[in-house]
Amino acid sequence: MQVKTIHADSVKGFQQSYASEIQDGFHPNVAMVFASVDLDMQGICSFLAAKDIHVFGCSSCGEFVYNASEHVITEGELVCLLMDLASGTFGIKLFGGHNCNSYELGKTIGDWSSGTFLHHAIFVLASGLDTDGEQLVRGIQHVAGEDIVMFGGLAGDDARFKETFVFSGDKLENNGAIAMAIDLDHYNIHGIATSGWVSIGADKLVTHSEGNVVYTIDNQPALDVYKEYLNVRDEELPEIGIEYPLMIKKRGKQDVLRAVINVDREKRSLIFAGSVPNGSVVSFSSSPGFEVIEGTRLKVDEFYQQNPLTDVLILFSCMARHSALGPTISEEIGDAWRKWNTPLIGFFTYGEIGNNYSAACDFYNQTFTLVALKEKQHVPEN
Amino acid sequence: MSQKIDFLADMIRNFTSGNDFERERELILEELKKINAEQEKLTFKYQRSTKEKNILSSLLTRTTYDLQQVSARLSVRAEELSTLLTTIPAYVFFKDIHLNYLIVNKAFTELVGVPVQEIIGKNATEFFGIHHDPGYYEHEIQVISKGIAFYNIEEHVERNNRKFWVNTNIAPIRNADNEIIGLIGISWDITERKLHEEELRNAKELAEAGTMAKNEFIASVSHEFRTPMNGILGLSEILKNTLLNPEQMDLLKGIITSAENLLVLLNDVLDFSAIEAGKMKLDSQPFMLDRVLEDISLVMKMKAKEKKLSFSIRTPSEVPNALIGDAQRLRQIILNLANNSVKFTEKGVIEIRVSLIEKNTLQAFLKFEVTDTGIGIPVEAMNSLFKVFSRVKQDKLKTISGTGLGLSICRKLTDMMGGEIGVESTFGTGSTFWFTLPFVLSNLSSRKTNEAASSHSERFTGLHVLVAEDNLINLRIVDFQLRKMGFLADLVTNGMEALEKYAAHPYDLIILDIQMPVLDGYQTAKKIREGEKISGGHIPIIALTANAMKGDREQYLEAGMDEYVSKPFTQESLRNAISNLLK
Repeated sequence: MQVKTIHADSVKGFQQSYASEIQDGFHPNVAMVFASVDLDMQGICSFLAAKDIHVFGCSSCGEFVYNASEHVITEGELVCLLMDLASGTFGIKLFGGHNCNSYELGKTIGDWSSGTFLHHAIFVLASGLDTDGEQLVRGIQHVAGEDIVMFGGLAGDDARFKETFVFSGDKLENNGAIAMAIDLDHYNIHGIATSGWVSIGADKLVTHSEGNVVYTIDNQPALDVYKEYLNVRDEELPEIGIEYPLMIKKRGKQDVLRAVINVDREKRSLIFAGSVPNGSVVSFSSSPGFEVIEGTRLKVDEFYQQNPLTDVLILFSCMARHSALGPTISEEIGDAWRKWNTPLIGFFTYGEIGNNYSAACDFYNQTFTLVALKEKQHVPEN
Repeated sequence: MSQKIDFLADMIRNFTSGNDFERERELILEELKKINAEQEKLTFKYQRSTKEKNILSSLLTRTTYDLQQVSARLSVRAEELSTLLTTIPAYVFFKDIHLNYLIVNKAFTELVGVPVQEIIGKNATEFFGIHHDPGYYEHEIQVISKGIAFYNIEEHVERNNRKFWVNTNIAPIRNADNEIIGLIGISWDITERKLHEEELRNAKELAEAGTMAKNEFIASVSHEFRTPMNGILGLSEILKNTLLNPEQMDLLKGIITSAENLLVLLNDVLDFSAIEAGKMKLDSQPFMLDRVLEDISLVMKMKAKEKKLSFSIRTPSEVPNALIGDAQRLRQIILNLANNSVKFTEKGVIEIRVSLIEKNTLQAFLKFEVTDTGIGIPVEAMNSLFKVFSRVKQDKLKTISGTGLGLSICRKLTDMMGGEIGVESTFGTGSTFWFTLPFVLSNLSSRKTNEAASSHSERFTGLHVLVAEDNLINLRIVDFQLRKMGFLADLVTNGMEALEKYAAHPYDLIILDIQMPVLDGYQTAKKIREGEKISGGHIPIIALTANAMKGDREQYLEAGMDEYVSKPFTQESLRNAISNLLK
C-alpha cells in the first residue's frame, strides 16, 4: 500500500499538487480530505470523482500534515491523504441525517458496515452541529457490536459554529455522516485517545437536560452558568465552551468530557457534542497548562512500543487543544510523527471517536485520538 | 536564549570576516526563524496565561462563594445531625472497615456505660464479648466486604449484667469514588416488644388449646348422644311394625320426627365442630348423580307431601351423571337447602334444578338451584345469611326450629369443594338458593350402578351372620333388621366371644361394633384376618360405629374391615353396606 499527502490552499493548488504526485505512476483510489469550509469542497470532490478516486472527507477547524518534506499546521486550507488500497478491501458511503436522530443514523451505518466484511472496522465522520456523537457511536455499536473497531470525528467549520460538512463523490451533506468500512483481514488498525484535561471548581448538578441539550445546571440556565463562572461575554460561546468542557463525574468509572458546540440563546440552553444525562454530577474542566503535551508524549511512546510499524498515521485532535496550546500544538503532533517517521495527517475536530487500545469505542472531547493504519503482510485466504 | 544570541553573534563575526557568505546567511536566517517561532510560542503562552488567569480567577471567585454557601449549609446540617444523634431513642454507631467504632451517640455510650473516648477505636467484642450473637458479626463483615445492607437483625445482647433484645439495621458508607469506607448502624431496644410478643404467643396458645378442648368436648358429647339416639330410632322402627291403633301410630310418628330432628341438629353441631377444628375431610369417590338425586327425591317428596307442597327435580340430559366427588357432602348440602325450603314454604312448589355451566374432557362444573315459593328473605338479612348462628329475625320464624348452623356449614362445604354458594330472593315471594361445584368426570357406566341398585332388593335368606355389640338395645335392633332381611343371626357382646363363635362355626358375614369391652372391634378384625393368613379365605366384616367424625374410613380398612355403617343407622343403610359385600 502506497500513501502520499497533499497540502493546498485552493482547488487549483490541489490539482497541481495532485498532478505532481502521480508523475511516478502512483494510482491512488482513495482520498481522505480535510478541508476548510472556505474552500470549494464541491470542486475538489468533482475533480477526484473524475479520476475514479473514492473520497472520504469533511470540513475542518484547522488541518495538519506531517511528512519528510513538510510539517504543516494550518487553518483555511486543505490536506489530503492519497492511498492505493487493494480493491475489495474497503467501502465508502455517505449517509443523510436530516430525517433521523443521531442514534438512528448510527444504526443505519452499522447495518451497512456489518454487511461489507466478515471482520470490519469503521472510519466515520459526522456533520451537523446538533449531532450527538455519543448517540451516533451507540447506534453503530447497537448493530455492529460493542467491540467494533471505529475511529473518526465530528466535522468543524473553523470555529464559526454555523455549518459543517461531510462529503464523498460529488455530494456534500451538512447533516449526516460518511463512513468507510475496512476489511480487518487485510489491515491492522490500532489507536489511542488521550485528553489530559482536569476538573476545576466545585461539583454541580445538571438539573434539566434532554439528550445533548442542557437547559439548567443547579437550576440556573446553563448558558448563564457558563457566562457567570467563566466571566465571558455571550458571543464568546460556544467557542470558549469547547476549551472549558463539562466533566461528567461517573462514580467509580472513567469521567467523560463534553464540550459545548452550539448555543440556543433564546432558551438559554447549551448544546453539547455528546449526551449529558439529566441528574449528572459535573464540573468545569480545563487543560492543566502546557504540560499536557508531556502527558500526550508519554502515551504516544507507550503506543509506539506496541505498534512500531505503520503505513500512515491519522490524527483526530480536538480544536480545543489547538486553542489551548496555540503554536505549541506543533510539539504534540510533531513528537508523534517523529516516532514512526511515516506520513501523519488529520484535522482539528468538534469531537473524536475511537478505541483507546482495546477498550470499547467511545465518543470524546478534548482528546488527541491517534490511529495507525497498516496493510497486513500476509493476507489470509479466507 | 543567551546561548542562541552568542551563536548568532559568532555567525555575524564569521559573516563579517568574509567567509562563506551564502551559507552563513542561510544559517542566520534559519536561526532567526527558530527564534521567531519560539517568540511566537512565548507570546501565545503569555496571552494564553493572561486569558486563563482571568477565567480561572472568575471561576475561583464563584467557586469560593459556592463553597462558602455549601460550608454554611453543612454547618447547619452537622448541627441537625448532632441534635438528631443526641435525641434519637436508638443506639447509633459508625464503624471503620476494621469494624472499630468511629462515632457513637449518647444513647450508645449510656448503654455501654463507659465514656465515649474509651469506645472510639475499639471493637464491639470488647464491650459485648461473647454475648453478641456471632451471626451478627458475620453480617457486619458482609456489609464491609460486599456492600450489602442488612435490616431488622434481631439478637439477644448482654451488657453490665442486663439482658435485652435489640433490632439492628446496618448499611455501608461509601466515599466519592464509591469505595466502602465503613458502616453505619442503628439499634433499637425491643425488649418490651419481645415480652409482649411472648405474652401474646402464650395467650394465643391458651386460646387455641381452649378451642381444641371445646371441639373435642362437642365431638365426644355428640358421639355419646348417638348410641341412645340409635336406640330411640331403631326401637321406634320396630314398634312401627307392630300392631298399633291410629292414636298410638300418631304418637309414634311424633317420636320419630322429633328424634330425626334431634339427629339433624346433632349432625350439624358435629360437622360444625369438625370444620372449626380443621378436621373436616372430603371423601372423594366415583358416584352416580342420578342416584344421589333419587335418594333426595325420596326423602323430600315425603316431607313436601306432609305440607301439601309439590316437589320436583329437573336435570337436563347434558348434565353428566358419572362423577367423582364427595357424594355424601353433596347430598347434605342439597338436603339442607331443600329442608329449609320446605320449612319456610306454606304453599306452592319446591324445585331442585341441576345445570351444566362448563365441561371439558376431565371436569364438569355444575350448578344446583333450590327454588321455593316461600316467605323469602328481607334484603338486610341476605349478607349475613351464610354466617355462623345467623337466623333471619322475624316474628313468623319464631315457631321454626334450627341452630343457624346449616347454611354456614353449606358454605364451608362448598368452599372446601372449590365452589360457591349464594341466594336470590324476593321477600314475600320466594327464594332460590344456589351453589356451584366442580367434579371430575368418571368413566363408570350408569348401567353398572343400576345393577348395584337392583341388588338392594335382594334378600339374604338362610345366610349366617355373627353380630358383636355390647349395647343390648342396639343388638336387639340389628338382630331385628337382619332377620327381616332373611339372615340367621348369632349374637355376642364382645370381641372375645365373637372369636370363639367364629372358631366354632362357619359364617357368611360378621358385623362388629367398634367400642366393646374385653376385645374391641379393631382388635377382633385384626385377629380374624391374621388367622385367615394361615387358613386362607376372606370373610366380609362390617364395622358398626358411633364415631361419626369422617376420615376414619382408612382406620377401619386398615384393621381389615370391608365396610362400615354409622350409628344411628337405618335398615336401608345396613342393607346397602351388606349388599356391597354380598353380591
